[in-house]
Amino acid sequence: MNAPSRIDGGMIGRSVPRIDGRLKVTGAACYPSDVGVEDAAHAFLVTSTIARGRIKQFHLEDAQAVEGVLDILTYENTRGKVGKARFFAGGGYTSTTIMPMDSPKIWHDGQIVAMVVAETFEAAREAAHKVRVDYDVREAVAGFGDTRPQPRQMSNPLSGSDPKTGDAEKAFREAEVQVDAYYATPTQHHNPIELFTTTCVWSGDTLTVYEPSQFVHGLKNGLAQQLNMSADKIRVVSPFVGGAFGSKAALTPRTAFVALAAKRLNRPVKLVSTRAQAFTVSTYRAETEHHVKLGADRSGRLTSLSHEGWEVSSRPDNYKVAGTETTSLLYACPNIYTKVNIVHADRGTPGFMRSPAEVPYVYALECAMDELAVALTMDPVELRRINDTQVNPIDGKPYSSRALMQCYDRAAEAFGWSKRNPLPGSMTDGDWLIGWGCATACYPSNVAPAEARVTVAPNGTVRVQTAGHDIGTGAYTAIALTAADLLGVPLEQVSVELGDSTLPPAPVAGGSNATASICNAVAQACEDIRDRLAQAASHADGPLGGADHGAMRLRDGRLVTPDGRSEPLKDALTRIDFGPMESYVKYTPEIASGTVKVMGHKMLESGLPAMTSGSAAGDHIQYAFGAEFLEVRIHRRTREIRVPRIVGAFAAGRIISPTTARSQLLGGMIWGIGSALHEATDIDRRAARYLNDDLAEYLIPVNADIRDVDVIFVPEEDYQVNALGIKGLGELGNVGTAAAVSNAVFHATGRRIRDLPIRIEDLL
Amino acid sequence: MALASPPRSTSSRGLGMDTFSPLKTTPAAHRTGGLDVTLSVNGRDHHLTLDPRVTLLDALREHLGLTGSKKGCDQGQCGACTVHVDGERHLACLTLAASAEGKSITTIEGLAPEEGSLHPMQQAFMDHDAFQCGYCTPGQIMSAVACIREGHARTDDDIREYMSGNLCRCAAYPNIVAAIKQARDQMEGARG
Repeated sequence: MNAPSRIDGGMIGRSVPRIDGRLKVTGAACYPSDVGVEDAAHAFLVTSTIARGRIKQFHLEDAQAVEGVLDILTYENTRGKVGKARFFAGGGYTSTTIMPMDSPKIWHDGQIVAMVVAETFEAAREAAHKVRVDYDVREAVAGFGDTRPQPRQMSNPLSGSDPKTGDAEKAFREAEVQVDAYYATPTQHHNPIELFTTTCVWSGDTLTVYEPSQFVHGLKNGLAQQLNMSADKIRVVSPFVGGAFGSKAALTPRTAFVALAAKRLNRPVKLVSTRAQAFTVSTYRAETEHHVKLGADRSGRLTSLSHEGWEVSSRPDNYKVAGTETTSLLYACPNIYTKVNIVHADRGTPGFMRSPAEVPYVYALECAMDELAVALTMDPVELRRINDTQVNPIDGKPYSSRALMQCYDRAAEAFGWSKRNPLPGSMTDGDWLIGWGCATACYPSNVAPAEARVTVAPNGTVRVQTAGHDIGTGAYTAIALTAADLLGVPLEQVSVELGDSTLPPAPVAGGSNATASICNAVAQACEDIRDRLAQAASHADGPLGGADHGAMRLRDGRLVTPDGRSEPLKDALTRIDFGPMESYVKYTPEIASGTVKVMGHKMLESGLPAMTSGSAAGDHIQYAFGAEFLEVRIHRRTREIRVPRIVGAFAAGRIISPTTARSQLLGGMIWGIGSALHEATDIDRRAARYLNDDLAEYLIPVNADIRDVDVIFVPEEDYQVNALGIKGLGELGNVGTAAAVSNAVFHATGRRIRDLPIRIEDLL
Repeated sequence: MALASPPRSTSSRGLGMDTFSPLKTTPAAHRTGGLDVTLSVNGRDHHLTLDPRVTLLDALREHLGLTGSKKGCDQGQCGACTVHVDGERHLACLTLAASAEGKSITTIEGLAPEEGSLHPMQQAFMDHDAFQCGYCTPGQIMSAVACIREGHARTDDDIREYMSGNLCRCAAYPNIVAAIKQARDQMEGARG
């Protein structure tokens, strides 16, 4: 089937209100824990208070005595009941290979050790608090720099080799100007406002799971493997997700236990975990350290770039984000060295968190670039311009498009960058020190196989079905705009169904691939319908008889020819069939190769990740870019840090839904501000336990932290990335922001803070 | 012997939520099925028999099927459960249902003047795309309406400050401010 590229039906690119907006503002949007389930029992988790050791003994008598308690699950009665499923980051399903409640072993703080089920939430909670556990406690390693013996370190176990070219060490030694610095980023937690919830309902041997998910097909198939049952017998329902940011992508351990409990009781069981538990029952962004060395000649041209990263993972899992893949291809440089190390600790397995690889790694590189600009007494924008590249410096593969400098120029102009006095501490306003900083944002334009069913009813209403997910990204709206555009119908005539594993499989809502993957599938299905209608019209008697079917378009509810003939869509539909007209499409990304190209849909149907990365798009690489400029104000005496304004300009191919895309970028930039100034999960290093596991102590930006946020779209046409020319942007906005803040803090104060977040105490 | 984990949560903040609250040890009420409570929600009286520990949030969500009010932390830190009690904004997760008896409760489901219509704040949130995932939105909207009534929406800075108890992890904050300004002008115009 031909890809319907460059079609302009006037809907793609139109700013419209979110089509699911009304449901969300009236409280009618049904998130998984909103589903009313008759006769549901309530579950409450009990989690470990130690990070490493073994459970010696449970004391359940007090808990069992609580009126209304129905069941208590521990490893003693669940051992062996939940099978192994492969690790998501290793191409499988689960967020971790740690299997709680399968043995007395404790791998990390907050590991699930028991689940109480009771008639009411209140009784379950009371009983959970009365579960007492005796542990054999062993000394735990909290993370980096622990003086206790570290678990073995491993390098590069998951993916390809560390990108390298030339002799970076020699070139660095010989460089006229050098920057050599260490940077660090903290542990962070996604903290979507919706908690981690699961409701399981058995009906005979079939299971329905209501759980917020970024990947219903992954959840379904992974759970089937764990429960040793056919995936056909499981349905996962998640039409709305109250924020995810990566935390709801992989199958976490809780789900299988809720299913088990429901089976044991022969009645539905609903779990709503607590906010504190949200810090340990899913994943997190691990802390990272970076050693960046840049060498340049006096003109600012990079001669050497080396980036070594360290990341924390759990004891059993080799999880890493390895952002050197991106930092090695961002700037022209003949000599590049990268290395990524994993440091194992007694912690849960980390996982994807919004822009997993780019957020920590690009932060480090973009701070170092600013340090280099200072060392060269050069404007930091000019330094990026001098080192801009249209090819990957490692292997020479071209970018499909790269509008980084256009982004810099647009954002700089909107920001008023030319008025900047580069001297640190030179700009003030009363008691406020003013700092201006900038940084590069980038994200690979990933695409995955996706399937969709489009049905046009005889009255012209359109139904789009695909098991994609709208996690706040605007997927419902972008998909509806695509269908409305290609079928020439008003937006109100299109309905979109997502987030249900009975729908055609769609990829994980992660890696910013969803809009590109799903909208291309939907567009192909619409194109198939158009083509069938046009063929029939051209062969039949009627106003369009004999016309070239390939040139016919669907516009304004009519099938039209280039020479101005037309007929109503309803007439065209009647010619085909009396019932609804349907097309089911399996879209394979144009850039797919190897296993994904051949097996992509099998993988997708099995709920396995099958995304092709923008960094591995065959003969080229494909990335979206942006440039962010912001102002910090630091109070001379109190050192309070504010960000009164931020401007970001982004080039991300064709923007399907500008309203929701703008919100994604706006939210992303605010995430970046949070990353720079607020967020960090503190760890009690003696016990390897999280300290600030609630929303009062884990700081995220609140309304009063944010003022002016300006999003600029830099037009970009790139039909090499995929037929519709879409580059994902959900994870673009928060890349580089933290570096821009850090660079602005340096400009305001002359102090280079290389350890995030930057807080008042760092500037005293 | 170590206690298992729930007590480590910062429930000291959780006034009504504290598991060690003396209320939970009212065994008579518990055994006999709880307290009889009449809640007036969105203009309708509901007669419920509740465990005395049931929060207003859980009464709405689990007992009345009014799931528009959301549970985001259950400890008064996120604002997703914000409802109006006698016209003022309250955190339903920190309010015991029984303590709301005799008061007039309004939730997101009852905010619009009539079935099928939208309150100006709801419309403004749609017009300005003042949400993404939508989970904090009912709480934001209830809080925003009260914020205007309180006279705390006169300036952008006031709005930002007085809306800071409602967290939006998607970070739609600038759009929320824009929406509140639009609705404020409409609400005040309607009043004047």
